[in-house]
Amino acid sequence: MTARIRERTGQFFRMRRFKTQVKSVTDTSSTILGEAVARATPAPIASRIRGLSDRSMAWLFITPAIALLLAVNIFPLIWAIYLSFTNFRANRPNAALESVGLSNYSRVLNDPNIWQAMQTTAHFVFWTILLQTLIGFSLAYLIDRKFRGHAFWTTIILVPMMLSPAVVGNFWRFLYQPQIGLFNHIVSFLTGIPPSSFEMLGSVRLSPWAIIIVDTWMWTPYVMLICLAGLRSIPDYIYEAAEVDRASLWRQFWSITLPMALPFIMLAVLFRGIENFKMFDMVTLLTGGGPGSTTEVASITLKREAFESWRTGRASAFAIILFVAVFGLANIYVKALNKVKQR
Amino acid sequence: MSSVNTAHSVVEPSRTSKRIAATIVIAYAVITMIPLVWIVLTSFKSPPDSISYPPKIVFQPTLEGYCNLFTTRTRQTPEYITSLGAPTSTCDEITRSRNMVIAGPSNYWPRFQNSLVIAFGSTFLAVSLGTLAAYGFSRFKVPLAEDLLFFILSTRMMPPIAVAIPIYLMYRQLGLSDTALGMILLYTAVNVSLAVWLLKGFIDEIPREYEEAAMIDGYTRMQAFFKVVLPQATTGIAATAIFCLIFAWNEYAFAVLLTSGAAQTAPPFIPTIIGEGGQDWPAVAAGTTIFVVPILVFTILLRKQLLRGITFGAVRK
Amino acid sequence: MTAQTPVPSKQKRPFFFRRGPMENIATGLIGLGFLMLFQPFLLIFYTWSLVTLLAGTLMFIIVSKFPE
Repeated sequence: MTARIRERTGQFFRMRRFKTQVKSVTDTSSTILGEAVARATPAPIASRIRGLSDRSMAWLFITPAIALLLAVNIFPLIWAIYLSFTNFRANRPNAALESVGLSNYSRVLNDPNIWQAMQTTAHFVFWTILLQTLIGFSLAYLIDRKFRGHAFWTTIILVPMMLSPAVVGNFWRFLYQPQIGLFNHIVSFLTGIPPSSFEMLGSVRLSPWAIIIVDTWMWTPYVMLICLAGLRSIPDYIYEAAEVDRASLWRQFWSITLPMALPFIMLAVLFRGIENFKMFDMVTLLTGGGPGSTTEVASITLKREAFESWRTGRASAFAIILFVAVFGLANIYVKALNKVKQR
Repeated sequence: MSSVNTAHSVVEPSRTSKRIAATIVIAYAVITMIPLVWIVLTSFKSPPDSISYPPKIVFQPTLEGYCNLFTTRTRQTPEYITSLGAPTSTCDEITRSRNMVIAGPSNYWPRFQNSLVIAFGSTFLAVSLGTLAAYGFSRFKVPLAEDLLFFILSTRMMPPIAVAIPIYLMYRQLGLSDTALGMILLYTAVNVSLAVWLLKGFIDEIPREYEEAAMIDGYTRMQAFFKVVLPQATTGIAATAIFCLIFAWNEYAFAVLLTSGAAQTAPPFIPTIIGEGGQDWPAVAAGTTIFVVPILVFTILLRKQLLRGITFGAVRK
Repeated sequence: MTAQTPVPSKQKRPFFFRRGPMENIATGLIGLGFLMLFQPFLLIFYTWSLVTLLAGTLMFIIVSKFPE
């Protein structure tokens, strides 16, 4: 039975492949046609079509964007790499600049506080992704039942992710107030715990969860939307085949729904992973890294190193480490992106 | 493994399952809206109402939050206030009832204007550069196109704080720190990546034959681009523009590190709104409401393109 | 995605010069780098996480140029 489903799934992908092949064939044929037309037309028109050579034309279109990126993104990045090998301090720009080799890196990579910040980040990233994927996928699965008004409610659910994490995160500080905040009162209403008996932002035990709750509230819709696209990309006939085989709903879910939605889930997980790994705005405004350093995620430590301790060289080394990590994930993300694009 | 009710189509879920799904989804939607509704409600509360214990759901609505958001006030003696004569506006009246007088406008409106200028300026630039580049990638054989596209996307993935250190130093050298121009350039650079990826998808969908026909009719490549491709891509360009706008509008990390006064945008400003004795929550809520409403409208307008925008154009449905 | 149309000449390139498996190894290295960066057990793993991440990323960039 599963073999049959697998066969149908295989068929589906082969069909897709065939379609894309057909498409590429027609694409090339149209360009061949275009060239044939160009060859057949009189010389002046042909030269006008060509105009500048295609290659220089292409660069004319692309250069402005690339130039801006080089100036505002890549040049600063190279500068940061350079600074990471020096003892530069931005608050003392005239002090003698010394090359310190790899010592900035070795300090950052042996600093227990920064290691601690990494673990805080890991806790944040792990739980937000787990919760968002579970809730997001379940919601998408339910919305895919296509009940009446599902489009309207989907739009409502999507609203939080479009808002500014800083501005809305700041307001969550109010919701989390122990005496007057709505959150504590709702929790107390549901569980019977007195609302002023716990502090979401002030307690060492609860504050890591306070930021996880806000991030989950904000970004579950993102995961949901991408999962929904994944579920909708599964063609009906595969389910029909499964039904002919009398596969149970449970079985259908595990051998059709989940595997076929998986590339989409991966895409969402990778993107949320990258975003939350560098999370700064929402956490800064909610807890500022406190109490103590219980919610001090990597970006906040980096900001303190760079703009409060003014150890620019060391901060640059730390920044490069974060950058390498994100860049590695971005590579995998683009791979996942291309995989999804083929569907 | 007995599937008894195979009578209905597999594709069409049963009525009960639909009903259960609807209940859960609507419940989630309602819960998710509570914080947002609370922001709007708080913005119409008076400061004592906003910090009452337990929180008030029914209250006397007032515009005090909005008045406090847009003005700065000083405390005066009641004698002085009675000597002033009739109040000139609603805000004046509310302020006087608290034994205060309006001293002048607050910084909210200039910050909001900065947000407008920087968000729209950077969006315009990003979409213009992005359209050109996307057309280039879509229609020409660019050497190393894959790598260039990845490079463009990866610039958006950079951690903002990591980029902010060298940018901060660079802008200090160039005199661009705390200027609208500096922020516009920075946001343009961040947004260009999204613009290129999204617009490439939209332009790929316009058949090449249109331009080829136009060029055979005697248009140059540039004329064909402006007169044939651009009109066809309007929807895509509009959607891309709104996405860029939302990013620039919501951005906080760069804004808080690189601006302090003249070019500060609203997101770093709103959390600093303070009243007497701590944060003035109705004013913060009012500022948040005004700041968030345009995005709400855009989200509803964009709902069809949303998926495409947040996945860099990869997912279409 | 796993379904492959039969290729006449199988295993033409040696394992180390094919894109698929090498890309998976690079992805694994990047994943390992993240585990090392995030784990709370041994400082030495954290210290060497950057090297692992860098190696994985470089390898990924290089092998993505290999043909399938």
